[in-house]
Amino acid sequence: MSSNTASSSAGSGDSSAARKNSKRPKYSKFTQQELPACKPILTPGWVISTFLIVSVIFIPLGVISLFASQDVVEIVDRYDNDCIPAPARTNKVAFIQGDSPKACNRTLTVTKRMKQPIYVYYQLDNFYQNHRRYVKSRSDSQLRSPKFENQISACKPEDDVGGQPIVPCGLIAWSLFNDTYTLSRNNTPLAVNKKGIAWKSDKEHKFGNKVFPKNFQKGNLTGGATLNPDIPLSEQEDLIVWMRTAALPTFRKLYGKIETDLENGDTIQVTLQNNYNTYSFSGKKKLVLSTTSWLGGKNDFLGIAYLTVGGICFFLALAFTIMYLVKPRRLGDPSYLSWNRNPGGGR
Amino acid sequence: MKRFVYINDDEASKELCCDNRISNTKYNLWNFFPKNLLEQFSRFMNQYFLLIACLQLWSLITPVNPASTWGPLIFIFAVSASKEAWDDYHRYLSDKKANEREVWIVKHGIKKHIQAQDIQVGNIVWLRENDEVPCDLVLLGTSDPQGVCYVETAALDGETDLKTRVIPSACVGIDLELLHKMKGVIECPIPDKDIRRFDANMRLFPPFIDNDVCSLTIKNTLLQSCYLRNTEWACGVSVYTGNQTKLGMCRGVAEPKLTAMDAMIDKLTGAIFVFQIVVVLVLGVAGNVWKDTEARKQWYVQYPEEAPWYELLVIPLRFELLCSIMIPISIKVSLDLVKGLYAKFIEWDVEMVDQETGTASYAANTAISEDLGQVEYILTDKTGTLTDNKMIFRRCCIGGIFYGNENGDALKDTQLLDAITSGSTDVIRFLTVMAICNTVIPVRSKAGEIIYKAQSQDEDALVAAAAKLHMVFVGKNANRLELMFNGVMIRYEVLEILEFTSDRKRMSVVVRDCQNGKIILLSKGADESILPSACAGQQTRTIAEAVEHYAQLGLRTLCLAWRELEEDEYLEWSVKFKEASSVLVDREWRIAEVCQRLEHDLYILGVTAIEDRLQDGVPETIETLRKAGINFWMLTGDKQNTAIQIALSCNFISPEPKGQLLLIDGKSEEDVSRSLERVLLTMRTTTSEPKDVAFVVDGWALEIALKHHRKDFVELAILSRTAICCRVTPSQKAQLVEILKSCDYRTLAIGDGGNDVRMIQQADIGVGISGREGLQAARAADYSIGRFRFLKRLILVHGRYSYNRTAFLSQYSFYKSLLICFIQIFFSFISGVSGTSLFNSVSLMAYNVFYTSVPVLVSVIDKDLSETTVMQHPQILFYCQAGRLLNPSTFAGWFGRSLFHAIVVFVITIHAYAYEKSEMEELGMVALSGCIWLQAFVVAQETNSFTVLQHLSIWGNLVGFYVINFLFSAIPSSGMYTIMFRLCSQPSYWITMFLIVGAGMGPIFALKYYRYTYRPSKINILQQAERMGGPILTLGNIETQPRTIIEKDVSPISIMSTQPKNRSPVYEPLLSESPNAIRRSFGPGTPFEFFQSQSRLSSSSGYTRNCKDN
Repeated sequence: MSSNTASSSAGSGDSSAARKNSKRPKYSKFTQQELPACKPILTPGWVISTFLIVSVIFIPLGVISLFASQDVVEIVDRYDNDCIPAPARTNKVAFIQGDSPKACNRTLTVTKRMKQPIYVYYQLDNFYQNHRRYVKSRSDSQLRSPKFENQISACKPEDDVGGQPIVPCGLIAWSLFNDTYTLSRNNTPLAVNKKGIAWKSDKEHKFGNKVFPKNFQKGNLTGGATLNPDIPLSEQEDLIVWMRTAALPTFRKLYGKIETDLENGDTIQVTLQNNYNTYSFSGKKKLVLSTTSWLGGKNDFLGIAYLTVGGICFFLALAFTIMYLVKPRRLGDPSYLSWNRNPGGGR
Repeated sequence: MKRFVYINDDEASKELCCDNRISNTKYNLWNFFPKNLLEQFSRFMNQYFLLIACLQLWSLITPVNPASTWGPLIFIFAVSASKEAWDDYHRYLSDKKANEREVWIVKHGIKKHIQAQDIQVGNIVWLRENDEVPCDLVLLGTSDPQGVCYVETAALDGETDLKTRVIPSACVGIDLELLHKMKGVIECPIPDKDIRRFDANMRLFPPFIDNDVCSLTIKNTLLQSCYLRNTEWACGVSVYTGNQTKLGMCRGVAEPKLTAMDAMIDKLTGAIFVFQIVVVLVLGVAGNVWKDTEARKQWYVQYPEEAPWYELLVIPLRFELLCSIMIPISIKVSLDLVKGLYAKFIEWDVEMVDQETGTASYAANTAISEDLGQVEYILTDKTGTLTDNKMIFRRCCIGGIFYGNENGDALKDTQLLDAITSGSTDVIRFLTVMAICNTVIPVRSKAGEIIYKAQSQDEDALVAAAAKLHMVFVGKNANRLELMFNGVMIRYEVLEILEFTSDRKRMSVVVRDCQNGKIILLSKGADESILPSACAGQQTRTIAEAVEHYAQLGLRTLCLAWRELEEDEYLEWSVKFKEASSVLVDREWRIAEVCQRLEHDLYILGVTAIEDRLQDGVPETIETLRKAGINFWMLTGDKQNTAIQIALSCNFISPEPKGQLLLIDGKSEEDVSRSLERVLLTMRTTTSEPKDVAFVVDGWALEIALKHHRKDFVELAILSRTAICCRVTPSQKAQLVEILKSCDYRTLAIGDGGNDVRMIQQADIGVGISGREGLQAARAADYSIGRFRFLKRLILVHGRYSYNRTAFLSQYSFYKSLLICFIQIFFSFISGVSGTSLFNSVSLMAYNVFYTSVPVLVSVIDKDLSETTVMQHPQILFYCQAGRLLNPSTFAGWFGRSLFHAIVVFVITIHAYAYEKSEMEELGMVALSGCIWLQAFVVAQETNSFTVLQHLSIWGNLVGFYVINFLFSAIPSSGMYTIMFRLCSQPSYWITMFLIVGAGMGPIFALKYYRYTYRPSKINILQQAERMGGPILTLGNIETQPRTIIEKDVSPISIMSTQPKNRSPVYEPLLSESPNAIRRSFGPGTPFEFFQSQSRLSSSSGYTRNCKDN
């Protein structure tokens, strides 16, 4: 009988067949989230050995860093207070702003042989080169090319004098450090090479060799050093060094390089012009002679930090080992699952 | 309000003046930018970022180049704007296509070819076979001499079967030529969105039948977007056009849903915002104090004596800008991106493809995958959702004789077959009712087979069964029905169809037997609507028992009845019926009343029992999800007994003694209140016991409970893990969802039919089953899946992973932003609290956009546990439900971590790069590299499974950082020219990096190990177990084994096959027939009347399928 073939609505049948091909998603490991994966778990063995390895690496590294730092010979002389004549010390700001002679003599003793090159730094404390008003007060384009001489909008308040742009403009250049040092060893002059103290890239690309100082320190307020208007900025290395602003309120800037070795027991006489005013904000000024190592200047921090971290890692490895031995715990024990203990748990 | 449509009269219809232009677009060319911007700026986050970006334009306060905020901001806005534009453009294109479609209309008596958008109200539109209907039409004529045409309404309601439409009686017999010149007026309601109702009247002008008002119903209409099928041509007059059509009015934009996780992220953002304000205020005040005490002494800064009025604001505002990165601008983009990927993973999942139809899952809403992992309540429909909605006629009871009880299939019952051959009157009448008391259309396919186009699966099952029992419904030709019984053709003429409504719960047809001219009324319907109309002498007791018996087996029952009518009686009634059918107001109710007058003194022939099979894997899915701590509520239009049986067979409720059923019933307010109180009392006392307590409530009691005892009901809802609500209406379903939502539960509603749409839209997550009942639910839903069992995977795998991944991603985003922000804050203490930025603009911008966002994006493929482990231990979902991975305390952990890392990076950097090395650019880069190294290791540590992609992104990103910076270092004009080359050539740089990593990760690693080993979370334990390959697997096996045995026993799926005798013992006693046995399930102190009055309590029969239509 034909009745046996009666069936229900056929519409869905063929339409779903058509859908079959178009709708079925493509299979790939990514779409099924089945990419082969490595699933590490923190087993005691792994963790303890990781900490051990870290401590084994860190402790020697700390020792090496510490040695490197100890190798560096450094002479630091704070002169800001001593270079003011005793009578003037009650009002240092008045002295430094006055016209009285600022020359000052310091004697340093070399306590350990210093191999060349010896770097001469000046160090300022409590000087905020990173201050928001200060750090932005410069015009990089103006420094690069005479074309952009008038780009001084960022330089306020040291932007122009009587409508004429200052080159280099801005507070940074304006407050250029102007103490000078003349060194002599055992009464023979000691040459301080002031060439090559700035970054090469700065000299070549940031400070133009056609940009000459203009209207500099001509305003009604005089800040720091003046610049020779006949030397292009790319040769004014003191300025270039100074304009690499420091991120910390205590910083050293390169003054020059001594290219001879200094022997143990040498005395070094420094004749310095104490011009720069750090007195109004009670900042310190220091003269630093320092050699260098592969890690930089004298800085024990890295060594000590490495030793500390290495030590802590070793201690942790030890502690975890003891914990593991004293109170072993089976990983992934299903009896820890609360719902295996009381059914219907969870809530 | 009414509208008058003048047929074929341009002048008179002018006032309605709407053309048929469809517009679904949100924007047009002119208002796109303002409107879209306005929309985007309605979000608080965007307003905040805009404010920051605007502040940055003030060069006095900006610490960095404004581009560092404007860039990402514009990028983000451009991305979302172009997405909107793209969507809108596609809407425009599809509108345009629909608008420019060519149609034939009659204008000034001539047929013309015009674009669909130019159709005016009152135009006569001609359609050919397979044409799409361009606007809502009232049929005037068809190629069929009887005025019948067939339409497919799939686009409107998702139902794939063909529906018949007939021309109004007034138009019958009008000549083809005259149709062009037809004039008349149609009085119809103003446009509404009810696609099942059209109560209008039509009056034709002379020379056509004068002044005869003819009533119109939805049966006389062709609605927009339907297709004309199996009909050569049809024509109709347009009544609603453009966006005013029924379809146009139905369209609406669903409210965007916000996940619980988004809400939490917003909350945390708010907290960070407050923290930021505090920081800004403290630093602002400190900065101003420092300025006045210290900075004035710093001559080189040249603070002016005279300050503008806003001077005090400058420093706080600078800090505001500096700290603005605390709220990561990238988080929205990242979240949108990964959410899109979660949705894709759902769509790509081959394990969620319905093998039968090849339908893949679909995520319509890409934004709420995390919520899937936090579901606490699932509200499920029964028919079509838990069951297959594949109706099969299984048993029947004719004249008190049960057929099909022995082998569970009446079609193979020899006793029944014998009865048919012997020609027992009752049996033949029974079969006749089965075959023709319906709205089924038999269609002969090309191969000569008869295919039934039925609107309801029940009717389909009955007609198909009748055909197998030799009563074949062969053809329907207008009003003539042809039946083939044992090779003999029997003809009937249909006089009236008394349609099914959910209130009447029955349908009838009045037919004239063409052999002897007798007029017969054939009825079928729910027992409670048929039995009261039984003729006085008949004993309905056996029928009621049969109904009860079948219902307990989980079968859907229908009572069939029959009455011969006198000619006079019919004629008299027919006039009234016509009258009622043309009423404009309350038509449905008036018709029901008139029908009532005919449907009495029925001779009850018997009961049919139709089986609705359970879908594959439903019991396992429900059991797994219940173990995961998800509570199930079943909301069904079915009758109580059937619902309970289904609930039992799919692990919904546990049988005694583990489970307990509590019934809320009553017809009056007092009854309901009393039983509600009793149930509450029992609930409160039993919550401490590990017992599954479920309550059962029917629609009537629910209505009263919701109206008068809302508070008690809400308490009940909170106490009860399981509930069965029977005979509930679509709006009640939505109400229940709302109640659970109001208690702060995350709800998921799953359903398949049009009656579930409201519930699906109301719930936090709506899941539609793209099933037999059309796609209506699937369209409204956020996710559509092919089968119920995919829900398990959707929640446990996709929902859980999404939650975990977003939890990590969002917190990590805050971590990395806070990290860099803390460093800036620390730096401000050594830069005179003046608001200097340590990092340059490029770094700041790239930090959020590139350096830190790439590795974390790959966390979208991170899996903490494998899928099998999760499936074996669904309880682990608790971590997601309770929000254990993203809450204020986990966030505090990340906050602390970023603080710690900031301290490590900052302290090490400023000490390692002190004195002569303290150059600003260099120091900034060292600190930044420190952050990048740390974040790479943090991501690595938080990653649970490393795939190639993860390694590539984590370590590749680190390499990428150096590459990008080398590039920038090579540009002479950039601020960081040569910086990176210098740094990388210094041993001290690398030494510092290692130190930062060692000092930053060591303690965190140690802490993680300690927690992992000595205070492990359940997730950790499972991870360990899974990866050690240890005992967990055996545990899983133990767990699954007994279940498979039970499965075999119950052989689940089909309730039919669970004969009372071989039923698994666990299903006692709820399954047993005796009502007394059920009463045992309630403790002695609680004498509930449970099943005993069921036939009166339950009313909706196996006819739910039709209820859904309403």
